Amino acid sequence: MLRSLSFKRTPLLTSIRSRCRALSTQPASSLGCLPTTDSPVVSKLAFFNSVTGDGSKIPSYRVLDGLGIPIEGAEVPEACISEQFARRLYENMQLLPTLDNILYNVQRQGKISFYMTSYGEEAAVVGSAAALADDDEVLGRTNVFIAYGFANSTAAQYREVGVLLWRGFTLDRVMAQCFGNHEDVGKGRQMPVHFGSKQHHFHPISSPLATQIPQAAGVGYALKRDPARRSKNVAAVYFGEGAASEGDFHAGMLLASTLPSPTLFLARNNGFAISTPSSQQFYGDSLSARGPGYGVDTVRVDGNDVLAVLSAVKEGRRRCLEGGRAVLVEIMTYRVGHHSTSDDSFAYRGRQEVENRKKIDNPITRFRLFMESRGWWNETEEEELKSRLKQDVLTAFKRAENLKKPDLKELFTDVYTDEPWNIREQREELVGLIEKYGQVWEPWRNDLKNFKDEGKKLSD
Amino acid sequence: MLARRLRSTFPALSRRWQTTASTTAVDPPSAGGHPSSVASSQLLRMTRESALRSPGISWQDEESDRNIVGGRETRKMNLYQAVRDALSIALAKDDTAVIFGEDIAFGGVFRCTMGLAEEFGRERVFNTPLTEQGIAGFGIGLASMGHTAIAEIQFADYIFPAFDQLVNEAAKFRYRSGGKFSIGGLTVRTPTMAVGHGGLYHSQSPEGFFMGASGLKVVIPRSPIQCKGLLLSAIRDPNPVIFMEPKVLYRSAVEQVPIDDFTLPLSRAEILIPGSDLTLLTWGTPVYHCESALRLLNSPPPSLAPLVPPSLRSAKVELIDLRTILPWDVETVVESVRRTKRLVIVHEAGMTGGVGGEIAAEIGKRAFLRLEAPVRRITGWDVPAALQFEKFNMPDAVRILDGIMETLSY
Repeated sequence: MLRSLSFKRTPLLTSIRSRCRALSTQPASSLGCLPTTDSPVVSKLAFFNSVTGDGSKIPSYRVLDGLGIPIEGAEVPEACISEQFARRLYENMQLLPTLDNILYNVQRQGKISFYMTSYGEEAAVVGSAAALADDDEVLGRTNVFIAYGFANSTAAQYREVGVLLWRGFTLDRVMAQCFGNHEDVGKGRQMPVHFGSKQHHFHPISSPLATQIPQAAGVGYALKRDPARRSKNVAAVYFGEGAASEGDFHAGMLLASTLPSPTLFLARNNGFAISTPSSQQFYGDSLSARGPGYGVDTVRVDGNDVLAVLSAVKEGRRRCLEGGRAVLVEIMTYRVGHHSTSDDSFAYRGRQEVENRKKIDNPITRFRLFMESRGWWNETEEEELKSRLKQDVLTAFKRAENLKKPDLKELFTDVYTDEPWNIREQREELVGLIEKYGQVWEPWRNDLKNFKDEGKKLSD
Repeated sequence: MLARRLRSTFPALSRRWQTTASTTAVDPPSAGGHPSSVASSQLLRMTRESALRSPGISWQDEESDRNIVGGRETRKMNLYQAVRDALSIALAKDDTAVIFGEDIAFGGVFRCTMGLAEEFGRERVFNTPLTEQGIAGFGIGLASMGHTAIAEIQFADYIFPAFDQLVNEAAKFRYRSGGKFSIGGLTVRTPTMAVGHGGLYHSQSPEGFFMGASGLKVVIPRSPIQCKGLLLSAIRDPNPVIFMEPKVLYRSAVEQVPIDDFTLPLSRAEILIPGSDLTLLTWGTPVYHCESALRLLNSPPPSLAPLVPPSLRSAKVELIDLRTILPWDVETVVESVRRTKRLVIVHEAGMTGGVGGEIAAEIGKRAFLRLEAPVRRITGWDVPAALQFEKFNMPDAVRILDGIMETLSY
């Protein structure tokens, strides 16, 4: 192929040269370009290993400094940030640790089986949620898998519940899912924090990492094909920097850029995938450096700065709709909490390092200082908010705690739209076993009482 | 998957890369791989009337009450043309339907999507990058939005990169959302089974790997009529379906196919030849090897005659096409075995962990007192599909004949 191109002044070569000139931003090379790229041919051997021209790292966009003061040259997104909106952002940011504190502790008491906190990532969650339209389709992942009672994961976790809460998902529904009670729309089938809500355009979370990423490209394509939603909605997909090591990340970026699909990739890089620091996850300039490789508009943003996250995701979404293609926003944070309730992170990082992080660069404090500097917030309001949120969470928690599990029959429904013979027979077999042993085998007798139908609807 | 793979393995296909997308003429079948039994099969419906009277046909148009033999037409089609015909109907009747996969825009490496991109536009019929996990994930995403997603995996051998998406995601999507989300619009088509010279990675029958993926349906047709009717059912079924097309039949299986929109039921086996002495159960390509084996049994050629006892030649063997692997039609199979008292299962995939083991266990449970011989499985050996050894690896007519005779004389 190369050899054939060395023949000069063939029509093919001429057309490639002119195409090369038309598309390249660099001066056309006198040597032309290769047939499958517009890249000019050069005579000097030079390797490169950076997406920035001077070899430096991709910069992180920031609006507010640690004291909540706009940094030099930064613009506060006044157009979208009124006092009322700022308060809503702040309340949602405060709600997350309130929820986390209570649910983390009740997990410790054994009342729910599992939990993951979002400490330190409040700005990343709430800022990005606020930048989306409420009917943008969201796909997330808790990035958890569990085996023999141990929770584990291969990537950083993101509490997309923040997105749901922003959209009005109630605390009762949060609790219903975590307790797996009969109010849970997921019918108590999935582990805690695996939320989903059709009404809130939030696709059901599953544990396998990164599987949602190519799915998001498909959702984006569907939005583009739907006349009612074309140019109106994007598919927004959340994942951690560990999940981005999966093949599905590669597939999803490729599909959304090539096909193309309006898909907004929201990568949250908090430095850890359970115990694995990002230095063992990749060698390049993190996830942002990969975006341009897929031809994707990319930005890196300070994830502890809610205004920076808000602006970056808003602009990313705009580009996504305008170009109809993938956009990548890498949100840099630090996982202050343990990976999950099954993890003691001090086994692989220093306690002091974490404590310092909490104090020096706390996303909630940073935004609170900004609010105070504008006269939008004060100590009294802070106390009121904290006690109100705590009360709300406790009320929902206590209510959920006393609700029964779903009907036992739901073990067998929804595998298919209809019940095939094998599942029907297996359900009937369990009916017979419960009739025989349900009242004499203690583990079953105790648990049957917890189900709404006490197993009686199983034979329907 | 790659042009390279095809060129090395399918010389006839590599030539097709040079053809234009608008070419619709049928090339003569390429040499090798086509079982001669298909050409002479009595199971294929060569007349309009017999085609229109195919059991289980359900017409899907306004005139569904029209006399089926009266006003309806048929056209001679091979299996790939039947696929194309079904896809064309699916796209024409459902605006949300899209078709995607590797190399499908120019017509597909097996021509199943010939001309569809030109007819329905590149937004509805398009190439994807070479990523099977991506294709499956993309299809799940589309289907989760209520769209009809018809994905193609170029060979069933390459479905394994998508295994996670299909088993962990597609199969469990409805269940994990409490029935609130559905990806019922997803159908994954993929060419399967041996082709004469496919070697390790153009010959596999992976249906058994999906046997435990409750939530998925797995369907394998045996002929053009079956392919069209079952594929349209699969596309419209409210559950995700993996549809495996026996690739050696793409060109070799030819019959009259009704041109109207019709479906055939999923999870229903079909009794092709009624019998009373033994039940022979199979699906896909081996249907024709089984038919040949029955011919050998009833009237063996002189070379085999000394090996076929005259007492067995008049045996009435019931031939059943399972058609749907998951969830399979236990009722028809059990009813048949209770009558015949003997069961032989034939499939191309290896024996250990294959679909035959699942069926044998269930029949052992349900027909234990009726069985007069052990359930016999005639399958590929538990080895990969070695290129030069295919004739001795795949269950051919003589192996099936031998298994039938042993089971009859047990």
